[in-house]
Amino acid sequence: MHISDGILEPKWIFFWYAISIFFIGLGLRIINKRIKEEPVYLPRLSLIGAVVFVISVWHIPVPITGSSSHPVGTPMSSIIVGPSATVVISAIALFFQAFVAHGGLTTIGANTFSMGIAGNFGGYFVYRLLKNVSPLWFSAGIAGLIGSIITYLTTALQLALSLNPGNVLNYWKLYSLGFIPTQLPLAFAEFAFTAYVMKYISETTYKENLSPAGDRFSRNALLLMLSITSIIVIGAYIGYLGGASMAGTDSTVEATAKPEASPGGIGTRLMSYLGEPLGFALVGITGGLFTGYFWSEFRRRS
Amino acid sequence: MLEWLSTDPLNGIIITITFFISVIIGRHLRIKRAENIRKFIDPRIKILILFFLIISITLMGHWYIPIGIFVLCIFISLKLAIFRNFGKKLVFPVLLAFFILVIQTLTYGTNIINYGISREGFESGFLIFARVVAAASLSILFLSTDSENEILETMRWYRVPVTILDISSLMSRYIKAFSMEAKRMKLAQVSRCGLSGGYMKKMHDIASITGALITRALVRAELVYRAMLSRGWKHDQLSLEGAQALNSMDFLMGFVLLAGIIILIGIDRGM
Repeated sequence: MHISDGILEPKWIFFWYAISIFFIGLGLRIINKRIKEEPVYLPRLSLIGAVVFVISVWHIPVPITGSSSHPVGTPMSSIIVGPSATVVISAIALFFQAFVAHGGLTTIGANTFSMGIAGNFGGYFVYRLLKNVSPLWFSAGIAGLIGSIITYLTTALQLALSLNPGNVLNYWKLYSLGFIPTQLPLAFAEFAFTAYVMKYISETTYKENLSPAGDRFSRNALLLMLSITSIIVIGAYIGYLGGASMAGTDSTVEATAKPEASPGGIGTRLMSYLGEPLGFALVGITGGLFTGYFWSEFRRRS
Repeated sequence: MLEWLSTDPLNGIIITITFFISVIIGRHLRIKRAENIRKFIDPRIKILILFFLIISITLMGHWYIPIGIFVLCIFISLKLAIFRNFGKKLVFPVLLAFFILVIQTLTYGTNIINYGISREGFESGFLIFARVVAAASLSILFLSTDSENEILETMRWYRVPVTILDISSLMSRYIKAFSMEAKRMKLAQVSRCGLSGGYMKKMHDIASITGALITRALVRAELVYRAMLSRGWKHDQLSLEGAQALNSMDFLMGFVLLAGIIILIGIDRGM
């Protein structure tokens, strides 16, 4: 649901316009560069723009409320044509939608920000995070779900900022809660919709244009990371329930694993200099980069 | 009873011919008049004035003028015989405004009247409601009377970047083709027992139509675009050459309307 004309105060109208114009300019630069390299990018982009327009005016039934609402379509678009280009096409779609009384002329800036920037980049970010560790349909679906939720959270924030400047956080919560009955089922609908559409597209002609599924190495590494982290967390929690002091593993290491370790060694000095979290992070990054860089070499030799 | 059929037919012929020709002329005059009313402002001036008018509405501190504008819009839509379309388009903005009215009434202000309803909340909510219905009805009335080509021409005149114009012009064509094709595919799917059953099944069917449409349309759009390029079409060939200049009447109309907006704000501030 886009914000209509007459709701936002003039200062907010210009504020959202300014932010959106900046992103549109950025998107335009990327589009122009891409068109020079690949002229057929223009019709592809326009077509996805038409899809975003149709999707966001195409009402989908919402079973819980018995009403209907519309998905945003921008997360799906960002997966197909990229998030920067999606900002431009969603602004154009919103401009056309103003002519059918969906949204408004003065609120194009605000609506572009919520649907074309926040929802789009939020969804795309989630897609990028998940695409290497999950099937395409799942990462695309979650991108749709998160993109839809972010869009409506942003819309609620825009309403609160403009209408209740004295108590923004409270009214943000209120407007968000007000949107839940229609927008939460809608977000799940967007999950199913985006997932099915991307699955369909990936199985047909446009397979090569979509981001490929992650390689086995990355997937295994992430799975291993999740498993080990889970074991540590579960182990620590069980220990805590059993009355352990949660003082860490230092005493165990000193007493049993490495009794001859020097208390003034390089590791101890590093930790005291950087602090434990940063010190461990540095060790992890160095060790990880080294292992990853020479992994193929190790494999070949072994 | 049918004796008149065998008598002088002249009067009958004359009345029949004059009646039907008058019917045609009358209808034509009605359409022409409606078109003249719709086109009495240049689209370029219209968009600019609309923008300022909506901003001025949001600056108003009383609900009287916005409600007055709303009533005037209803009257004009009735006069232009577009009330049905106007009313249909107004549903969503009014719903959103009503949602804000309810939230403001129940949560804003300290002077509680009854059932948690506060006077300040209701006044603030109703003011927003009035602004929204006025602004939305103005948008619908002003913008729904312009064709896509006029909109694109207006964008071109306002020096909108060529890439945006190209995308917009292609998009406006694809939207029509896409909507028509989607309807056709939906009907085909329904006739094959699609779009029935549970919610997930419906969602799957809708998504498969969309997916099929996108993949088909992408291939087709690229082919057509390559054909356009091979026939001499260029991506950035749109320029301001040939754009009609604003005449003095348009400027005068813009000036009068702008003055009207300022007077409205003045009246509102003076209340």
